[in-house]
Amino acid sequence: MAAVTPAQSSAARNRLPPMRLQSLNDQTESPLFQRRRNAQDKDDYPLFDISAIENGFDGTGMSLGNAVCRRCGDGFDMQEQIINSNGEVWHTHCFTCAQCFQPFPEGTFYEYEGRKYCEHDFRVLFAPSCGKCGEFISGRVIKAMNASWHPQCFLCQLCGICMADSGFVKNAGRALCRECNAKEKAKGTGKYVCHKCHDLIEINGLIKYRGEAYHPYHFNCHSCGVELNTEAREKDLELYCLRCHDKMGIPICGACRRPIEERVVHALGKTWHVEHFVCAKCEKPFLGTRHYEKKGLAYCEIHYHQLFGNICFVCNSIINGDVFSAFNKAWCVHHFACSICDRKMSQKTKFFEFDQKPVCKNCYDKFPGELKKRLKKAYEEQGKK
Amino acid sequence: MSSKLKKVVDESRDGNNPELDLGDRGIVNMLEVPGLMELQNLTRLTLCHNKLTALPPAIANFLSLEILNLFNNSIEELPTTLSSMPKLRILNVGMNKLYTLSRGFGACPQLEVLDCTYNNLSEKSLPANFFCLDTLRALYMGDNDFEVIPPEIGRLKNLQILCFRENDLVALPKEIGDLVRLRELHIQGNRLTVLPPEFGNLDLVGTKQVFKADNNPWVTPIADQFQVGASHVFDYIRSDTYKFLYGRHLSANAPLPPKTQDKSKKISRIKK
Repeated sequence: MAAVTPAQSSAARNRLPPMRLQSLNDQTESPLFQRRRNAQDKDDYPLFDISAIENGFDGTGMSLGNAVCRRCGDGFDMQEQIINSNGEVWHTHCFTCAQCFQPFPEGTFYEYEGRKYCEHDFRVLFAPSCGKCGEFISGRVIKAMNASWHPQCFLCQLCGICMADSGFVKNAGRALCRECNAKEKAKGTGKYVCHKCHDLIEINGLIKYRGEAYHPYHFNCHSCGVELNTEAREKDLELYCLRCHDKMGIPICGACRRPIEERVVHALGKTWHVEHFVCAKCEKPFLGTRHYEKKGLAYCEIHYHQLFGNICFVCNSIINGDVFSAFNKAWCVHHFACSICDRKMSQKTKFFEFDQKPVCKNCYDKFPGELKKRLKKAYEEQGKK
Repeated sequence: MSSKLKKVVDESRDGNNPELDLGDRGIVNMLEVPGLMELQNLTRLTLCHNKLTALPPAIANFLSLEILNLFNNSIEELPTTLSSMPKLRILNVGMNKLYTLSRGFGACPQLEVLDCTYNNLSEKSLPANFFCLDTLRALYMGDNDFEVIPPEIGRLKNLQILCFRENDLVALPKEIGDLVRLRELHIQGNRLTVLPPEFGNLDLVGTKQVFKADNNPWVTPIADQFQVGASHVFDYIRSDTYKFLYGRHLSANAPLPPKTQDKSKKISRIKK
């Protein structure tokens, strides 16, 4: 639009309100007059209606040679049909919808931010559609619940009454009339509302999934597909039926055979609930304290030593370091001595047995003869067996 | 002799050694050993193979004493103060001439091992509170004169070792079945014919257990089981068959087997 004559620009400036600046008759051949006349005609029509005019090269020799198309900027051929709208001109093939590039049906278009659209595309792009019936809304729009609604489409989700004028209350993701909301509130005290269907859930009939309460029957097991019940478990943000959950490499307690969902103790080649990993003798849980293993069983310190003979017969304490063992008893290095004279003995010391206690040769020799005779006899009888 | 003893006692005191060996030194009276009674810090005192005839009541002044060994002396009576020794854990009065234990002996607060082997004790010579010794884990009564073990034995819940070798026992009380921690039992050389069915509660047949029951005049069914092995004895006395037989045996009031041991040569009986 580089070549604009002063007359044209003046006419454009004064286009609205339409008024006749000059008293020119219909025969006037100036293009300015032609456009103005068209603009004036248009005023009797809806705002965006257009009129097409013949690029009339009549006897007056009037020419549109210096007019160019609003869209492509080219001039017009002599006999070409020109479209004139609001004082601007187009080739017919240039005067199209900005979205679908098709001519406007019945010449009606909608203008938005300087672009012209056919009715269909304008609605698709910019007009609100109803959240209930999906149709475009013209006229009054109800904006609610993050959507737009025809007034006659905005109804209470429970009783169906129209709430366009009475107002609504949001209840667990639902738009309810005030009456229904009050009823729901009374009914739902202390109960959960399903995050999917928004119905109430009995307290013992719900499952939790990603922190929200649901009816279990909205879901199927992620593994076997079975409809879930309240025993369903969540693992790694998926829901599983109890059977599949228990099979999924979740550690099983070696004592109670139930899956371990909290802290796991690894011991004896198995996994255990913390409270089920106990001493095989006293059955008290170790709770992280040291345990001793023997033949596939675990023992606390006291019972391990008590059962496996590592408590000193004299000091009755757990033996740290070397252990002397004889006659099903144990002694620490300090207390392995003759049971008669308390003289210390070593690995090399020879000793006698007397009531399953060690006696050094010196003390044995001091025994009365009749005792020695009896001991000898008992020893020989033992040997015979 | 006395100067030698004094040297040992002095060395113990100067070396601050809490354990003192005074075995086989011909000591007749503890009070005659110079400085001995002043060694208040002793934890062990060994006086075996001496000639003591009595203990001084001041023995109780050894407040730290844990082990007292008086084996092979000629003690006829123990002082009543013995039971007040707060730390005494092991008392060996074996091979003496005891006919009784001192009155109130059962009050010993910490006693774990009591060795009365080779004396002249019987169920009549035990003080009334004897079975209050519930800290006891080993009781050696071999070579004494018991005919029965008092049923109160069942109160010694910590007992792991029980020895009544070569006494005159004619029966065991059923309360012996309450000694759940027992792992060593010597009842050989007595006059036992039957075992109470409760005896079956005990676990004495493993490799870690000791069960000696030879030389008793067992009734034939029990003797037969002993021929096969101790575990068979336990299986048998746990059976209903045996419970019936045991009841019949008691009601039959069979005569007691005679004493077979000649104890006249025991040095614990020989009078000077």
